[in-house]
Amino acid sequence: MNDVLVGRGLAKRFGQTVALGGVDIAVRAGEAVAIMGPSGSGKSTLLHCLAGIMKPDAGEVHLLGRRIDTMSERRRSALRRTRFGFVFQFGQLLPELPAEENVALPLMLDGVPRAQAVRRAREWFAPLGLQSMEGRRPGELSGGQAQRVAIARALVSRPAVVFADEPTGALDQRTGHDTMRLLAEATKHNDASLIVVTHDPEVAAWCDRAAEVRDGLIVPSGVRA
Amino acid sequence: MNLALTWRLLKGGGKGMLGTWLTLAAVAVSTALLLFAVAANFAFEARGERGAWRNPVPAASGAVAVQAARYDYVRDQAITVVDLAALGRAPAPPGMPRFPAPGEVWLSPALAELAARLPAAELADRYPDPAGVLGDEALIHSDELVAVVGHEPGAPALTAKRSDDWVISKPPAKVADLAGAPSEDSQAYRVLALIASVLMVVPLLVFGGAAARLTVARRDQRLAALRLVGATPGQVVAMTVAEAMIVALAGALVGTVAFAVAVPLLAGIEMQGGPWFAADLFPGPLVLAAVLVAVPLLVGLSAVIGLRRVVVSPLGVARRETPPAMRFVRVLALLAVLAVFPMLTRGSSVTVIAVALGLAFLCVNLAGPWVVGMIGRITAASARRPARLLAGRRLVDDPRSAWRTVGGVALTGFVAGFLGLLSPGAFEGETGPPQLRVTAPAGQMTKVTGQARERLERAKVTATVEASDQVVVAALGSSADAAAVDRARTALAGLVPGRTPTTKTDDQRFGVQILADVRVGTIVVLSVSFLVAIASAGITAASAILDRRRTYGLLRLAGTPLEVLDKARRAETLIPLAVMGGGAILVGVFCATPFMLGGISTVGAVTLLACVVAGFAGVLGAGALSRPLLRSVTTDPAPRPD
Repeated sequence: MNDVLVGRGLAKRFGQTVALGGVDIAVRAGEAVAIMGPSGSGKSTLLHCLAGIMKPDAGEVHLLGRRIDTMSERRRSALRRTRFGFVFQFGQLLPELPAEENVALPLMLDGVPRAQAVRRAREWFAPLGLQSMEGRRPGELSGGQAQRVAIARALVSRPAVVFADEPTGALDQRTGHDTMRLLAEATKHNDASLIVVTHDPEVAAWCDRAAEVRDGLIVPSGVRA
Repeated sequence: MNLALTWRLLKGGGKGMLGTWLTLAAVAVSTALLLFAVAANFAFEARGERGAWRNPVPAASGAVAVQAARYDYVRDQAITVVDLAALGRAPAPPGMPRFPAPGEVWLSPALAELAARLPAAELADRYPDPAGVLGDEALIHSDELVAVVGHEPGAPALTAKRSDDWVISKPPAKVADLAGAPSEDSQAYRVLALIASVLMVVPLLVFGGAAARLTVARRDQRLAALRLVGATPGQVVAMTVAEAMIVALAGALVGTVAFAVAVPLLAGIEMQGGPWFAADLFPGPLVLAAVLVAVPLLVGLSAVIGLRRVVVSPLGVARRETPPAMRFVRVLALLAVLAVFPMLTRGSSVTVIAVALGLAFLCVNLAGPWVVGMIGRITAASARRPARLLAGRRLVDDPRSAWRTVGGVALTGFVAGFLGLLSPGAFEGETGPPQLRVTAPAGQMTKVTGQARERLERAKVTATVEASDQVVVAALGSSADAAAVDRARTALAGLVPGRTPTTKTDDQRFGVQILADVRVGTIVVLSVSFLVAIASAGITAASAILDRRRTYGLLRLAGTPLEVLDKARRAETLIPLAVMGGGAILVGVFCATPFMLGGISTVGAVTLLACVVAGFAGVLGAGALSRPLLRSVTTDPAPRPD
């Protein structure tokens, strides 16, 4: 009953290619779900449809009971900014902004005064092990540090759902594990749901359950309690 | 293998190809304008040589003819009158089938046409029964008014004393041939053309460099990757240079064609009172070949410089480290050059002025990025909204790139500031009723005054004729119009052999003409600078989007409104544009102060204002043109069925 995000009968085609063939998925509050599958299976398309980035050809997406797939691009964009957080594989931080301003950016976009936004952004650095990194620019951070800054940015607006697309794809195994642990713990700590797209079972292991996508459909998979 | 890989890199595909097209377009524009800047010098040289035969060089021995020249006037135009007498077997002058016989008159086509159109008493009676029409070889431009008059060697026109002021006439000289030498005014024009070329070429080089680095910017990630997988620095450099040069050569060829197509239009720009012979505007095949070789070489060189960081460290570009801060010494260099200007005067040598001007220009270009970086710091520190913060940080991050966008307009501002004030209305026209004056030989004043009265009476021109200090003055009535002045001129033609009766306005005609031409030149230089600035702004804006397309796309995915990104882009251009454009104009005005002829001219100030407005509008417009590109790269950054 306390589903935060629900996708029903989601279908999407790219030309002749069926990316999604009618997918049903529901994510509960505070739950972490891994969407797994091989390359080309449709998992990123599913994430894009659930996050309101892409409109499905058929089906519905509901966030906290409100249908979002029929909203205008402007409203979906505002929704992504305020209710969702995003962590991508790499390249999401603006290279010219120091880390703290990268984190503060979503707040500033939402009208929070700069000083307050930066102050709130700084609060995220110590819990994520980024002490004294506030003034560094993305080019001066390691891959793992940059991903932790991205996690801080995804969570700073207190979103309902955090979407992560291969968040550890560009990191070595050890850093990837650390990053994934921080991502899972931080989202849970903030009562946000987490949807992670990955093909790495070790990343999926950090989630409450995994949904396997094959040929555009969700197939039964090992579910962790 | 290198070449095959280069070709594959070049083709790139998708948005990568767009970068290549942009570079090609930029190089084409640069080449066309560079050819124009170079051609202008050759065109003035060609005019100087065409007119040289009318400017006699006295021969020490072996004289074949006596030659003199003077200016006559009709309406508000000058007529060049060449007096010739053969001393033996004299060669045919340029544009004539034979040497003119005594008493013969030959007219240029424009003068013949004007003589036929105006009443005979106003012009044709001065040059009766023309024997023929002069060919183009005798003229500096097709609208030029020229008369060639044949005489006996002992004729008064070729023996009487004349003024030796070159603006009025050339005294008779025995010449060994009719080759002559380029006249003083043609030399003056060539110096002005050279200055104009320097003013046009510097922004062109900046622009060309920006275009070359665009190719590198497109490739640096991939080339850094190539280095990471083991390509040697030599291979990376060779591939990049080959790619940049292939594109540059194609661009240079397109630019050459564009220039050739534009020549008929450019030939219509009036200078020295008329349009150009199209052939004069074509630089020779050697110059053309030199430009076609030099442009790709310069672009290649610029690409090498742009790639230095990739080659030094494979991680350098891929990691996007903070670029080293720029040194204040750049501003010191500008201040040092500016300190020289108050020491210059209108009497300083042209070479010194040209070098100082060129140095000031280059130093504005050197100091530009430093000032842009400083503006960025201030903007970022004071920003309250995300767009301004982004703009400020971006300016600090890459001030050179921002300078490449606004640099064109800033350098144009410098040109406008310099030239804007250099076109004052220093010459006052004649006030009151027109007066014709002619200098008479000493002792003949009474006779000449009487003859003038008689001639004017016969021509039914109301005038008061008086002699004053070697000059016979015919004051026409207050109702005298241009036609009456020309009737009086015709009536008084030949009154004093070798001398032309002139009004005060006639005497200032040369100065007025050269100032009018400086104004035309200013507008041409400004137009070229604007084209460069606007093209530069468009290309830099597009390349900035392409460079950041992944980040822009992901930001948009995360809900950042397109307007914020667009606003940041606009502020990133507008803020430095306002500061740098204004600053450069002031520097230009400062540099022009020692050469000002009078007060600030209204025309100059209006030109300056128009420059600022057009520059801002053009650069913002060019930036706005890339908005659809921003939309397209951010709308669907990763459409994949994954």
